[in-house]
This record gives sequence, C-alpha cells and structure tokens, in this order.
Amino acid sequence: MGMYLTIASRNLRQGGRRTVLLMLALALVTGLLVFLLALSRGVNVSMTRAATTLSAGHVNVAGFYKATPEDAAPIIQGVAAIKKIAVENTPNLDYALDRHRGWAKVVSETSSVWCGLHGIDVREEKALFETITLAHQDAYVEGGRHAVIGDAQRLSEPDTILLFASQAKRLGVQVGDQLTLRTETLRGQSNTADVTVVAVAEDLGLMSSWAAFLPKQTILKLYGLKPDTSGAVQLYLKDIDEAPAVMAHLREVFADAGYALMDHDPQPFFMKFETVIGQDWTGQKLDLTIWRDEVSFLTWVLTAIDTVSYLLIAILAILIAIGIMNALYIAVRERTQEVGTLRAIGMGRRQVLGMFVLEALLLGLVATTAGATLSAIGALIIDWIAVPIPWPAAQAIFMNDTIRLVVEPAHLAAAIVAFTFVTGISALWPAMRAARLPPITAIHQTE
Amino acid sequence: MTTHTETPEAAPIVELIGVTKDYPLGKLTVPALRGIDLAIARGDFIAIAGPSGSGKTTLLNLVGCVDVPTAGAVRIGGQTTGELKETQLTSLRLHKLGFIFQTFNLVGVLNVFQNIELPLLLQGGLSKTERERRVAEMIEKVDLTPQTRQRPNELSGGQRQRVAIARALVTRPAIVMADEPTANLDSGTGGAIIELMKEINRVDHTTFIFSTHDAHVMSHARRLVELVDGRIVSDRAPDRQAQPEGA
Ligand SMILES: Nc1ncnc2c1ncn2[C@@H]1O[C@H](COP(=O)(O)OP(=O)(O)OP(=O)(O)O)[C@@H](O)[C@H]1O
Ligand SMILES: [Mg+2]
Repeated sequence: MGMYLTIASRNLRQGGRRTVLLMLALALVTGLLVFLLALSRGVNVSMTRAATTLSAGHVNVAGFYKATPEDAAPIIQGVAAIKKIAVENTPNLDYALDRHRGWAKVVSETSSVWCGLHGIDVREEKALFETITLAHQDAYVEGGRHAVIGDAQRLSEPDTILLFASQAKRLGVQVGDQLTLRTETLRGQSNTADVTVVAVAEDLGLMSSWAAFLPKQTILKLYGLKPDTSGAVQLYLKDIDEAPAVMAHLREVFADAGYALMDHDPQPFFMKFETVIGQDWTGQKLDLTIWRDEVSFLTWVLTAIDTVSYLLIAILAILIAIGIMNALYIAVRERTQEVGTLRAIGMGRRQVLGMFVLEALLLGLVATTAGATLSAIGALIIDWIAVPIPWPAAQAIFMNDTIRLVVEPAHLAAAIVAFTFVTGISALWPAMRAARLPPITAIHQTE
Repeated sequence: MTTHTETPEAAPIVELIGVTKDYPLGKLTVPALRGIDLAIARGDFIAIAGPSGSGKTTLLNLVGCVDVPTAGAVRIGGQTTGELKETQLTSLRLHKLGFIFQTFNLVGVLNVFQNIELPLLLQGGLSKTERERRVAEMIEKVDLTPQTRQRPNELSGGQRQRVAIARALVTRPAIVMADEPTANLDSGTGGAIIELMKEINRVDHTTFIFSTHDAHVMSHARRLVELVDGRIVSDRAPDRQAQPEGA
C-alpha cells in the first residue's frame, strides 16, 4: 500500500496542467455542493427559527371545538388543566406558553391585510422578544428615522398590536397609529376591535407577512370567548429533535387522562378546518402537532432548493466524471511502458487496476477536501458578515433578510466522500484498460 | 507425471520446443523466430548473439513470460507457459524470473531504493526490516549506496543499468533475462556489469540468459547461441580471448 501511495502521490505531483485543471474542477464542484448544502441548511435554520417563534412550539397541544357538526373553531377549553398535564409530562421541557389563534382583516385608513393573530401574554414570551428585532422606522415609513420607535413590552396593555415591517408598510402605519381588526365570530357575526400599534418588528421571512401579536384579552374580546380558553399550548424543548417522541408520549398521556384526540395530521391548523367541519362530532378534540407540521406548507422551499442543488451537482458530477475518465485515459496511454514494466516484473492486473484507482482516489480526496474546506470557510465568512438579501421576494423564500449559511461537518464529509467516490468510479474504466495492457508493452513502446 | 525420474540438475530449467513467433505487420506477418529448440540448464550463463533483427529480444521475451509463442512450447521449470493462466504467469514472473530491459525501464517517480524494493513489495511476506536489509545489501552489491535516494533521471546510464540489475536480482530469481545489458554503456561500465552478473551466477547459481552484439561480452559466456533470421545457427562455447579464466 505504501508503495502504491508513493507512486500515486508522486505521479500526481508531476501531473502537470491536466491534473491541476482536473483538481481545480473537482474542488470547485465540491465547494459548490458544500455551499448549496450550507444554503439549504441555512434556510432550514431560518425556517425553524421563524416557525418556532411565530407560529408554533416544538410540540403543540391545540384542538378544535365544534358547537355543531357543521362548524369548527381552533379553540381549546380548560386550557389551564391541559397546560398543567402537558408541562408535567414533557421531559426536558425548556418552557411552555399558550397563545390564542385568530384570523382577521387588519384595516388602516388607507389599506387592509388579512393576518393571523397571535394572542399572547407578554410575561410568557421572553423567547419571542429575544428572537424578533424591532425595525428601524425608516424600514417601514418613507423618510422615517433610522431609529427604533415603540416598545414590544407595551403589548401588556390592552388593545395593542405588534406588526412586522412589511405589514406596516403595506398598511401605511407607524407606531402610535390606530388599526381596526375585523373578524367573524363562531356564530357568524362580524366583530371589530380597535388597536394601537405599539411596535414594528423586522421581517422574519415569508411567515411574518401574515402574523401579528396582540394581548390575549383583545382576542378574547374579539371572539367573545371565555377566559379559560386558548388556541394552543406551545411546548419548547431543550432539544428540538425530541419533538416527535414527546408528541407521541403526550398523545398517550392525554388519551389516558380522558381527552378526545384527533388523528395526527402533519398540516398547519388552518388547513384542517375543512376536514374538521366535515366530521360529525361535537365538543372538543385535542390536536397534537410538532413545529414541522405547522410549517409544512413552506417545506417546498427546501425541497426546491435541494432539488435544484442536486440536479446541478449531478450534471457537474457527470462532467467531472467524463473529465477524469478522459484525463486518466490519456495518463494510461502515456504510461503504457511503465505499466508494461510493472507487469513484466510481476505486478498483477488487479494491482495495476488498484494503482490507477488509488491515484484517482488520492487526487479526488486532495481536491475535494481542499474545495470543501475553502467553500466552508467562505460560507462561514459570508454568514458572519451577514450579507443582506436585497429583494423582498428572495427574503421571503430564504426566510431571512440576510444570507444565512450553516455549514454542517456531516455535509462537508458527505461532499468529500461523494466526489472522491465519483472520482474513483470514473477511474475504473481507464484503470481497467491499464490492467489489460500486456507486459510486452514494456518493450514495444521504446522502439 | 507424478514421479521425478530426473535430478533437478539434469532437468533443463528452460526449454524451448519448436518455438515460432510471428508478428503481424499490417496484412503481413513477420516471422521473428522460426522453430527454435533450446534447453538451458540450471545455473548456466548463456549468451544469445546475432545480427539486428535476428530474434534475440523476441526469444528473451518468450523465456521471460512477457510474450507467448505463436507455435511450439516454452517451458520454465517444467511448466508450459502457454498453458498457464494470467495470474500464474504473473506469479512466475514475480517469483522465478528477473528481467533486465535494454532500456532499463525504471519507475521514474521512485528513487533507487524504491525501484529495487518494488518486486519485494509485490511478493510480500518479508518483514520491513528484512526487506530493507535485502535492498540495502543489493544496492551495496551494485555499488550504488551513495545514490540510494536519487531518482533515475539523476543517474548515469551505467548507474541505471545497475539499478535495473539490482531490481531483477533482489528477489533471488532462478532465471535472469538481460536484453543487451551493456549496449547502452561504455565498455568500462559494461565490463563491470558483466562481472557483477558473473559473480551472482557463481555465488547464487542464478541462471543468466543475455543477448549481446559485443564479442567481448560474448566471450564471458559459458555457452553462446547464435541466431540468424530467427533460427539457431550455432550453439557452442565462446572463444576465450580477452578475459582469462579465473573467476
Ligand atoms: N512488435 C513487433 N511488431 C512487428 N515486428 C516485430 C516486432 N518486434 C520485433 N519484430 C520483428 O521481429 C524480428 C526480430 O526482432 P527482435 O527484436 O527479436 O530482434 P533482435 O535480434 O532483438 O534485434 P536487435 O539486435 O535490433 O535488438 C525483426 O524482424 C523485427 O522487425
Ligand atoms: Mg533486441
């Protein structure tokens, strides 16, 4: 093995322009793969952050209430008891809170938007206020000041609202302005409430364009609900990856405690109205979900990024494979005498094959490691300097207003292994040609 | 053939029986060897002579299992090479035969030590220390100790030929083929190479078969086979002229 490595590494070092070009190409493609994986992971992280901040806990205990078989409200009653059971039965719980859910038209003097309402208790929402950043006024008001106006803590006062910058811009409002919320109650009558804008936060990607936060009391009033109701108990775990297991466990716990449960349906609650309305039960059923279910309508973004990435990488991999085959084919032709000599002094066919494949693998390993490492460093730097994404549409898709790149060591390793493997496989055919060279070529070539 | 009726000394180590070799050349075939019968005894020191194109290289290639005959049989240590599988031929080349090419054919990217070590690594079985001892000993024998870490392109022709000889001999093969081992060397260096081969032949009883144009080199052989046009025209002891008998 040592000898083959010596031969391979020295041949590579003497490889000249062809080898250098090939290694550059390999390094580039591996680097590109690492970059795209970091981008996909970055979007994933942004999405997780936005989802778990705005619309869901890691695990959610929500539900529907049906007064008649024909309607459905996203409400749970007796929320204090439900929350107590959830908290007591969740291992490694970080914190828990509950939010009201609503859907209303937010009307300003000039415009209106439909918006998901989250009724919160400011005292429970420390994490929310750590994650969102209040926007500078000039981000949503033409000619506004480059300073934060407003205070999210004022959501503790009744009839207040926190909007996101894109909504404030569309509604043409700023902190201190009045808005009217218009909604329909369970009984089909239209209700309104006036609220004051107390804070405007920076956008958190696609989801923040239809989310707003307001105090629980305002929602209770808007929908005419009793105090011990809520939308969902949101459980935040120390390890988000435990969410599916925790959900499964809590389903058993709640079933044992006598609660009626809906079958697990991995969709956000607002997609479930149609199915629930069609079912002929009345009263309350709990619906347990994990965060991913509540943003499943957004995972297409990840799928799209991954699909494009893999397609691109597959095409490049094929080109690389052809390049390697070609380069090695030429190398074999140039080295027929050497191969013949080795065969003549007793090297077997399999060893010749191994020698060329090893050489390719070594080339692959060096080039891909270099490419992956450089790309990872580049990605870390880009992430660190927080390059802004200039277009709102792109911000929405990438769930962030700066380019988020998250480099996973496992992705680095996978990219290196994958392209080294491609190199090795591509070397097989030229290596097989080399292995079939008869020993007599040691002599022929010299004449 | 389960019993040995002959003593090992009496059995020829190399046997060519009615060997012909044709090379295709376009639509023609070039006959390089035309019916060679030759038996070579173990421990012999035999020169193949003849004009250019007479078939010397072809003959050595066949004995070295680097090529196969068109007709007839080549037997090495009793085994007919045409009947062996590729892996068996490889093993034969690796363990029994040593080949010294006219053009040296060293591996350019390896240094002197590594070139000589190569066949031992291919054979396997020796410990690292034992292998390195054997290589160092061989390097000493061909007088290249100062050049141990040099690459072939840093060596003179004579030095390269000595590396090639060391590489062929390091596995202690039973038979060594050398195709014009002195043709690319000046007469002084050539003489030293022949002396080295003679020494190894004498000490280890290695069978040497070498081709040459050089009458002086022929005179060192114990047996001289002359080829003309692919046929053996004479097979005799060489004329002793230059070197007195003594080694
Ligand atoms: N690969 C080949 N293809 C075609 N003809 C060949 C080939 N190798 C050798 N020959 C022919 O076979 C004949 C014998 O060649 P060979 O090389 O054995 O002679 P040689 O005695 O070694 O000559 P030299 O002294 O020039 O080395 C020559 O006529 C040569 O042209
Ligand atoms: Mg010749």
